Amino acid sequence: MAFRDVNSRRHIGLQQLSSLASAGRTLLGPMKSCKFVVDESTNQSMLICSAVRLIESLDLSSAAGQLLNETIQAQNKEFKTGMSTLLFLVGAWSNAVLECLQQNVPVSAIVSVMSEGLNSCCEKVQCLQISVHDVNKELCSSSVRPNTSSSKTYEVACDGFLNPQIFLCLQKEVSPSKELVPRNSCSHQEADSNLNKGLVSPLADCKQKRLTHSRYFSALATSPSSSQLDDSQVCLSGQSAHPCECYGLGHLARALSHGNEPNMKLLKSIVAYQHERAECSGSNQFNIAEVVTCCLPGLPESYSCICPGFVTLVSPEQAAVIKHLGDKPLRILLTEGDLTEAYRHLGFTKPRNIRTVLERPDLQEGRPGDVWLNTSLDILTRSQVSLVLVKGHVCENLLERCVANKILVVGSVPQKVLSAFGEASGAQPVTYLTQLSASCVGSGAQLELWTASDGRAMDLGELVPVRIRVRGLTLLTAVLTTAVPAKMQLVEDRFWTLVYRLHHALRDGKVFLGGGAVELLCLSHSQALAKQTLKLANKKPVKEFHGPWLAASSAEYKPVVLQALASGWSQYLAAVMCNTAKATSLFEAQTLIEHHLKKAADCGSPSAYVLKEFQTGGMFQGGPVPSTGSAEGCRVYDNVTAKTEAWRRALDLVLLVLQTDAEIISGPQTNQLLNSPASSEFMFL
Amino acid sequence: MSRLEAKKPSLFISDPLTKDAVSQSLSLLNRILKSCYGPAGRLKQLHNGVGGYVCITSQSSAILGRLSVSHPVLKVLTASVQNHVARFSDCGLFTAILCCSLIENFKSLPVPSCTVIKISKDLLSLCTDYLKSEACGCRVSVDFSNLKTLLCLVRSVLTSKPACMLNATEVDHLTMLIVKAFMFTIPCHVETKAVLGKCVTVPVKGRRVLDSTVLPGLLIETPEIQFAKLLSVKRISSDAIKIALFCVSMSGDLFNPEEGMITVHHGISLEMSELNQLLNVGKQLVNDEVGLVVCQKVIHPSLKQYLKENQVMVVDRAGLSVMEPLSQMTGSKPIASIHSFSPSCYGSLKDVCTKSFGSKHFVHLIPNDTVVCSLVLCNRNETTWDELKRACETAEHVLQLTIKEPLALLGGGCTESHLASYIRYKTCSLSTSSFKDADYSQTQYQLIADAFCSSLESVACSLSHDDEILTDTVYGHCWLVPSGFPSVSNWSDLLSKCGCGINSNTQNLNWRLLRPHFGSPTPQSCPEEPSVKAADLLTLDCFAAKYSGLQVAVETANLILDLKCIIEDQN
Repeated sequence: MAFRDVNSRRHIGLQQLSSLASAGRTLLGPMKSCKFVVDESTNQSMLICSAVRLIESLDLSSAAGQLLNETIQAQNKEFKTGMSTLLFLVGAWSNAVLECLQQNVPVSAIVSVMSEGLNSCCEKVQCLQISVHDVNKELCSSSVRPNTSSSKTYEVACDGFLNPQIFLCLQKEVSPSKELVPRNSCSHQEADSNLNKGLVSPLADCKQKRLTHSRYFSALATSPSSSQLDDSQVCLSGQSAHPCECYGLGHLARALSHGNEPNMKLLKSIVAYQHERAECSGSNQFNIAEVVTCCLPGLPESYSCICPGFVTLVSPEQAAVIKHLGDKPLRILLTEGDLTEAYRHLGFTKPRNIRTVLERPDLQEGRPGDVWLNTSLDILTRSQVSLVLVKGHVCENLLERCVANKILVVGSVPQKVLSAFGEASGAQPVTYLTQLSASCVGSGAQLELWTASDGRAMDLGELVPVRIRVRGLTLLTAVLTTAVPAKMQLVEDRFWTLVYRLHHALRDGKVFLGGGAVELLCLSHSQALAKQTLKLANKKPVKEFHGPWLAASSAEYKPVVLQALASGWSQYLAAVMCNTAKATSLFEAQTLIEHHLKKAADCGSPSAYVLKEFQTGGMFQGGPVPSTGSAEGCRVYDNVTAKTEAWRRALDLVLLVLQTDAEIISGPQTNQLLNSPASSEFMFL
Repeated sequence: MSRLEAKKPSLFISDPLTKDAVSQSLSLLNRILKSCYGPAGRLKQLHNGVGGYVCITSQSSAILGRLSVSHPVLKVLTASVQNHVARFSDCGLFTAILCCSLIENFKSLPVPSCTVIKISKDLLSLCTDYLKSEACGCRVSVDFSNLKTLLCLVRSVLTSKPACMLNATEVDHLTMLIVKAFMFTIPCHVETKAVLGKCVTVPVKGRRVLDSTVLPGLLIETPEIQFAKLLSVKRISSDAIKIALFCVSMSGDLFNPEEGMITVHHGISLEMSELNQLLNVGKQLVNDEVGLVVCQKVIHPSLKQYLKENQVMVVDRAGLSVMEPLSQMTGSKPIASIHSFSPSCYGSLKDVCTKSFGSKHFVHLIPNDTVVCSLVLCNRNETTWDELKRACETAEHVLQLTIKEPLALLGGGCTESHLASYIRYKTCSLSTSSFKDADYSQTQYQLIADAFCSSLESVACSLSHDDEILTDTVYGHCWLVPSGFPSVSNWSDLLSKCGCGINSNTQNLNWRLLRPHFGSPTPQSCPEEPSVKAADLLTLDCFAAKYSGLQVAVETANLILDLKCIIEDQN
């Protein structure tokens, strides 16, 4: 058993945290710079742009590294967003705390002041929360555009913009930097298309005409006039009573997308599909459990789309079965576990001490495995099952025999897909085929080969995408494509991040004003707290949470520690500004932040200042490119719980490591440690 | 052919305590434990050095459990502290630090160890008599009709574990939950012998502490697919569901498969016959109108299917930890065989429903009479959750010990310093005549008493890691000042409350620095009992745990001092 002191002034753990976190600087904010991760043993490389993937690729043999990993994984498991913020703040606060230690601030004072400071900030920023309901109202009403062919509600909601010409000119003025590509100019009004042509970028000549970047025009993509779209793959079909056809969530999705345009569109179509279904069934408006992804590397990213049903990859032989089965409704079976002879349910121990005696050899019976194969196939054909979805693996031989018998067996199906098919088709999942009874089999499944919107043939090497549907199936598959296979993981990660952001926004029922508004208020608030305590420093210490033990010591050091807390947010804002090119250097960013802080302080109420800035789109407008004017055009919102939890987890980790003064290494490596170069650091018990 | 090896001779070490290596290890251990003590204690990272799980803790149970000490002297020490912790949960660090300090202090005295042992036993009984007496100035009685003292006890346990990473709101929330959970476990109708129920901790890691909650009855985790399909349960009356509880595996694997070889004829499947037996069990359960089957281990999917088709709810893989409370709660006897069981084993439940916390799904079993409850415990990550779980279990145990002996000791170091000044006063006021018959001199007695008291004081001083500790001469309590200040003549400017929070700085209490060195000034009077005993936010310690800790520490120190030689078998 070995024991090592962690030098208190130059705390090793905090230094490790700070250096690990520095790798994630560029992953912050809406404009992330991706990183290449190269596996030296296989020479394979992968593009990453999330803190989780970064942490997975780093060497985390140190205890602090392990804890950082655990913290980031926990945030990822719970929220799927906020990990980069967490990672960044871990680094920033580790550095700030190290500086406090340099100034001889006692550990207990740092711990109590910082955690109280963060609590106070979290309370303060509650004034920057806005309910999802209000966001929708505001965003939807401000986005409605005139459309002569549309219903009356349009005109009511947008009487400020009765003249389409004026409205569109206004747009031209406010967002000159955006490229506007009309999807199908002939389908719009004359005025629209004329103006659009004026704004068209060189991309307009491309055959695939789409609207991008401007959410004014993206409304067109979902408008009933663009009926050329394949209804199974693009946003919606039919008309809605909503004034702006975002189904209450589309604009929120955009505001949460932080410039993640392609995924925002996918999310919007999920919302549209689920809204349509919710209207029929009255169920939840946005259900994350009914979404799965299917990754198709090799296709350009523009082919990404949302498909009702389950899209998955099968072998060409199996695809041939699908052609044979046609579009008949099929009987479907769901199995949990593997579909192999040796598989037994969890908790079953196979006896090893059983010997089977064969009295009269029967030569006709063939190999022992054949019995199982024949029985299984027999069961499937007798109950006329044509489609089997298996949670685990499928025996290769059975797969072949099934293909020969025109039965499609799909393995490695996620649990939520099984549940959705069970619900829609009436199938009851079984563990063994021998359990099969008539009541277990579902019906009405339909199979087809998945084709891209333009009917382009899939060339994905050995696998063919197929789509499985059942009437009443609520499942949606996000088909994610990218021409660069190394980006596949990244595309999928970014998709889920956005989906979860909307999910959490709805679960919280509220969102934060985004684009740094919350962080600026935290920064200004913690600085104000520091100034306050400076004034009070000579007065008698007040009793605080940790009781008499910590109250006395913390009062004196409060200003220094609160400044350290503030520096976390200041560095955060500066890094985001640099990443989004709102500032060319850290220095410039700091100056800008100082400028805003001063103005906020002068204005008397920092929260009022931040609110005003957000309303007028001063400092906090979102989107990757800074634009002038039009605040509504690119309003950005953030998740409330995910963000505050990321802060809290980051601070908790830093304080946890800060309070650690020693490592105790147990286990059989004592001899290795004794002989290691660092052996002088260790003491042995 | 086996190889014979000559036996190695045993190793004989005489006077182990005089060896340098032992002293060094002992003082290192003391340093580690002292640095962990109290709400501002420093944390330890315990890991295996090869990238495994990292445990961050300041609790003796976690540290001593993972510490592998090699020297027999240290082994004796850690073993007796661990034994204390197993029985009382709390005051492990107190015991260990006091024991180490006693050994270190006694060892350096020019007094034969037998005399040391004799005198320290005397001093121990002086302490224990005082603590048990009505006149004791450092204890408060616990009034169970008022929650305040109970809340203080629990809060003190939680705040003394900094690695739980709780803020004030979270501490308050959990304190309420733990007391509430404890209340659930007290039976409503007490007959001759009252037995406390049980609180089962349900882990929900990754969520906020404020999401924690307490529910009456039991929660058993169940996979999602089953969750979606829980049918309406067969009831025998509107508020009664018959439940069968199995502690034997029903997965259909063969009974006792490890012994000998079984030969079967081709075409006979033991698996099938086992399954048939299980289905017979199923038939019996259905006939007996059982509505819920809970199995500690796995149930065969075919049996599950059969039971579900007959409207019997099935929960398997319940785990060992819920078996005892489940049996207590439902009055059912766990069935240990699938071959024969009588209907008298069945118990009953009031209701069953489902609950979700985060991504986890549970079956919630609601009993008629609540003596069992579930504490759904959340914390943000694994390390801090583990620490919090230990802290909550300690707090629950403290409440259980307190109901047996409704007393609490003042915390925050005040009991230790008060006790030390009481002993100092008592031993100084002894007349020379009382040593006439003793086989030791008064000087020897004074030396030992001084060492004893400074050991107690050094435990109190361990509470401070950045600050100075003072003691007052009126009550003998502990006070804390930040270390940065130059030695001030007027301490009262800096002090607000004493360690336990019972005394506030309203009068000049004549403070002095508390430093665990020998030769502290002799108190002029016996330390007083604080006049007010009803402050709101007192720091309180468990009486039973500290009382035992004190005894264990002194007796273990005596045992170690008494060691003359160690004989080590080297084979």
